Amino acid sequence: MTTTEPPFLTYASESPPAPARWRRRGDRERASGFHTLLAGLLYLFFGVFLIWPIVQVVWTGFVRPDGHPTFAYVALIFHDPVLLGGLFNATLIAVIVTAITLALSLPLAVLSVRYDFRGRGLLSGLLLVPLVLPPFVGAIGMRLVFSRFGPLTQLIGGGGALGIDWLGHLRLIGVIVVEVLHLYPIMLLNLQAALANIDPAMEQAAANLGAGRWTTFRRITLPLIRPGLFAGCTLVLIWSFTELGTPLMFDYTQVTPVQIFQQITDIAGNPLPYALVVVTLVSSTLLYLVGKVLLGRSFDASTTKASVAVVPRQLIGWRGLLAAAPFALVFVLAVLPHLSVILTSLSATGAWYKTLLPSAFTLSHYAEALRDDLALPSITRSIQYAVLATAMALVIGLAVAVVVVRSTLRGRWIIDALAMLPLAVPGLVLAFGYLAISIWLKQKLGDRTPTWLDVQQSPLVLLVIAYAARRLPYVVRSVAAGLQQTPRDLELAAANLGAHRFTVLRRITVPLILANLLAGALLAFAFAMLEVSDSLILAQKTAYYPITKAIWELSQRLGDGVYIASALGVWAMVLLSLTILSANALLGRKMGAIFRI
Amino acid sequence: MRRYLFIVFFVVVLALPFALRSMLTSAARAPALGPDMPAARLVIVTPNNQDIRREFARAFDAWHRATYHQAVTIDYRTPGGTNDIRRLLETTYRNYLQPDGTFRADMPADLHMVWGGGDYTFDREYKRLFERNGRPVSVLQPAHLTPGLLEQAFPQPTLAGVKLYDDAKDASGHVLRPQWIGTCLSSFGIIYNPDLYRLIGLPTPHTWADLTDQKLAGKVALADPTHSGSVAVAYLMVLQRAMADAEEQYLASIATTRASSQPNAEAYRNDPAYGAAIAAGWKRGMGQLLLIAANARYFTDSASTVVRDVGDTGDAAVGVAIDFYARVEQESVGPSRARFVSPAAATAITPDPIAILAGVKGQPFEIANHFIEFVLSPQGQRLWILKAGTPGGPRDRALRRPPIRRDVYDDRTNWADDVDPFTDAGSFNQRPQWMGLFTEIRPLWAAAWIDSREALRDAYARILAVRDPQRRSALIARLADLPIEMSDVQQLAADRLVHEKRGDAEEWKARSRIDWANRFRAHYARVAAEAGE
Repeated sequence: MTTTEPPFLTYASESPPAPARWRRRGDRERASGFHTLLAGLLYLFFGVFLIWPIVQVVWTGFVRPDGHPTFAYVALIFHDPVLLGGLFNATLIAVIVTAITLALSLPLAVLSVRYDFRGRGLLSGLLLVPLVLPPFVGAIGMRLVFSRFGPLTQLIGGGGALGIDWLGHLRLIGVIVVEVLHLYPIMLLNLQAALANIDPAMEQAAANLGAGRWTTFRRITLPLIRPGLFAGCTLVLIWSFTELGTPLMFDYTQVTPVQIFQQITDIAGNPLPYALVVVTLVSSTLLYLVGKVLLGRSFDASTTKASVAVVPRQLIGWRGLLAAAPFALVFVLAVLPHLSVILTSLSATGAWYKTLLPSAFTLSHYAEALRDDLALPSITRSIQYAVLATAMALVIGLAVAVVVVRSTLRGRWIIDALAMLPLAVPGLVLAFGYLAISIWLKQKLGDRTPTWLDVQQSPLVLLVIAYAARRLPYVVRSVAAGLQQTPRDLELAAANLGAHRFTVLRRITVPLILANLLAGALLAFAFAMLEVSDSLILAQKTAYYPITKAIWELSQRLGDGVYIASALGVWAMVLLSLTILSANALLGRKMGAIFRI
Repeated sequence: MRRYLFIVFFVVVLALPFALRSMLTSAARAPALGPDMPAARLVIVTPNNQDIRREFARAFDAWHRATYHQAVTIDYRTPGGTNDIRRLLETTYRNYLQPDGTFRADMPADLHMVWGGGDYTFDREYKRLFERNGRPVSVLQPAHLTPGLLEQAFPQPTLAGVKLYDDAKDASGHVLRPQWIGTCLSSFGIIYNPDLYRLIGLPTPHTWADLTDQKLAGKVALADPTHSGSVAVAYLMVLQRAMADAEEQYLASIATTRASSQPNAEAYRNDPAYGAAIAAGWKRGMGQLLLIAANARYFTDSASTVVRDVGDTGDAAVGVAIDFYARVEQESVGPSRARFVSPAAATAITPDPIAILAGVKGQPFEIANHFIEFVLSPQGQRLWILKAGTPGGPRDRALRRPPIRRDVYDDRTNWADDVDPFTDAGSFNQRPQWMGLFTEIRPLWAAAWIDSREALRDAYARILAVRDPQRRSALIARLADLPIEMSDVQQLAADRLVHEKRGDAEEWKARSRIDWANRFRAHYARVAAEAGE
């Protein structure tokens, strides 16, 4: 899977002509029947679990309680300076976060792709670590770091008798910093993959014609990596535009996702939050389109697929150290939130005050977390949700990949686009959609509502579907990459020997792409374990709280709540670091292909 | 196989907490509660914190096993703060409300009880959540308690004028079964960071007015009154204190002018001058609150953040908090960083009620009554206040809330806090007759303090930059003179009823809040312009 091509084109590889025997025995019909069946099931799945929630939200935002259509609710949003301010702030955060991640990642990507130096592999790997910690967990620690007499104030010399109230004035900056440090790996992976695929001949030609390095970079390299830029920017833009957990943790309420969250309990009777979700959806679509127009216009670059691999230039001695320095710097910055969470989890209650490091350490918060009624059950719940969601995402992801990569079905790009849709649709919108459906069903069915469809009774099914849908794109990308690298001849040979399609899938295809499946599964699992929007919105019953909601609840608890939440966060960090490392070991340099649109 | 090494680690880390947990619990397993019994289920919607939820669930289960030979699992629902719960009940019940004001028989009563959130919420909101044919419709239903229990628990039905349980009477004066019953007491006050106060150079706060000090600009922690109902009651006390002051002045004035005549004790209430005095007091209170809000660092959604910002980090010097939040914080960070003050004669001491929700019948109804019985028992009452780990006390953490039964205060062995609200209450408490506009005023506060925050902050900063102290205080007074009167709020209350009937209440609420925010914004901008000259 390369990034210099648009996603849909990549799959349009010519399928080799089917062998004679296959055709003779009418297997071709059977084969396409198989694919048609898969495609049909996929359309059904996406229709019910992706399109319906969105339609439900949009619909409710435009209909009065008496059933008449109205624009009043959406219009109201544009009359309310507070909600408009929220939209403005969300956009501001998204744009700044995207700009900073880009500025941070571009030099790193160039360095890591073009040059080789001591520790490059390790440093590049370490740079991915921040991806695993949901920024809102980092925010727990960062609140202490940014506190009036906190470590930051201590570091710059105390800031006078009254310290410095960073968060009183700069909460927006706190939100931005934490999101940047979380999201830059996505940008980095995309840029690296794009850079690696540039045909060095193009740049050499430019240099031959007398272009300087800067001109070459500006006129040749940048346009060539545009698809990677587009993918990275869009992902980061939409992610930060709709991020709920981080501003919530920083008490930054003047931003749309939090404003939506605050009205959650309202929704059955109040159409306003729906309208706000509609506006969010339209805004993210606009952001996506703007990105597409600015960066994604021309995909001609795909014709330049590298014929020669880039040979990194060896940097030794001080040059190597110089090249490694930015990596080390960004890594140190990026682990700050993680570090602060670890320190918080180890600090005695209230002992991190007016000191650079906590003045007393303890392990008791971990013991407390083990004993806690909320913490451990939430781990069990999260594992349950994540395992089910992963299994679901795997099955669907495999089906999508098979249809898209292996079949010649007309309109298979629609399936591919649908599978990628969750990347473009904010998690908040989908979560809200599921909630809306659940409430709508309950109103229609009353007492006969099956428990598993009633979020207030049991959010299990809806949460699992939400998690699975949200993380489907990674699985699809991972599996598709595997399928493309697996010669189809092997499957055809098996079919030739009389194996049924499912047998081929089970005995040949799946074992061949096992590493990709595992990697996709691990990532889906990791993100499902730490999904924030869906969890905060859909899990309303204590017994069903997943880890993220437990961390949120605990962080609200007085006394040692924050510390226990941190301990839980540290455990999650370790687990998810291992997930990323496992996926990295399984996929190697193909990791980048997964975090793309 | 090295590529699978991390997966092995992954599995180990995944399993670790469970392994450790079983080691921890097997070492100190709680004594078994007897043979396994089939557990009944009780669903309680509550804003109460996890400690309260956990301790009461455990203690009630044990008590129920011993008393009624049946285990009970409490299934708590925590959709958020009090206001979130009100909205949840509103939307849950609205769909089943019939034109005659009763609920449909097929209503799934899957929420059994609602617990916590202050007496106002229960008495004025849950009891009249809807209106049909000019009559309020309650989402609560009367409890069927053991005869004599209420009299035994509450020898006095009120505390300084505030009802401790629902003692509503029917038309013929007959006392009805209570729809809500107080379970413990809450009071509201000021939490401050003594360390920071010393550094700022301010004396310790004692009254609400102390929070308006300009040295506290950006250092007051406040919660959003539309999200935290409990803190909103504290704001209301600022208002009621100002109204009570106005009343005292009025009474003093008529005492001198009509010293000879003996006015009917209540007759003055109909005097237009009295109404005007009260309205003026109300407006003064609004101004005082505005100056506190102008000092706000920011408005958080949760009352616990207020307390933590004061004690844990010192980000804020002072905040408005519920008593037990402040006490828990003081214990966790020490009295040098967090202390609680109850403003003299200006706080509310109110019951925190529990109630059974409408439509609940059969076994859940029975169990719900048992739960009330338990909470009112001396055993249940002491659970609120005993130190953790003491006999009859909570297992993990002290809950630190004052019990509501007066007789429990006689023996204070092992109490976590030596409190006695029955003595502290004195004569001032919230006035039921002044509570009527509470629902309307919360969004107004939000409009004045939060929605128009930028403009307020700008105006305040410009005023503080004025050097001439006389001009500065004149400007402060201008700022505090909000363009709103008590009659406006009364009008809003009337309008709301109209829009509720019409079915567009949500849209109207949003619109009216936007309108008011715009008016306040314009006011701040005018004052800012004056200050900037």
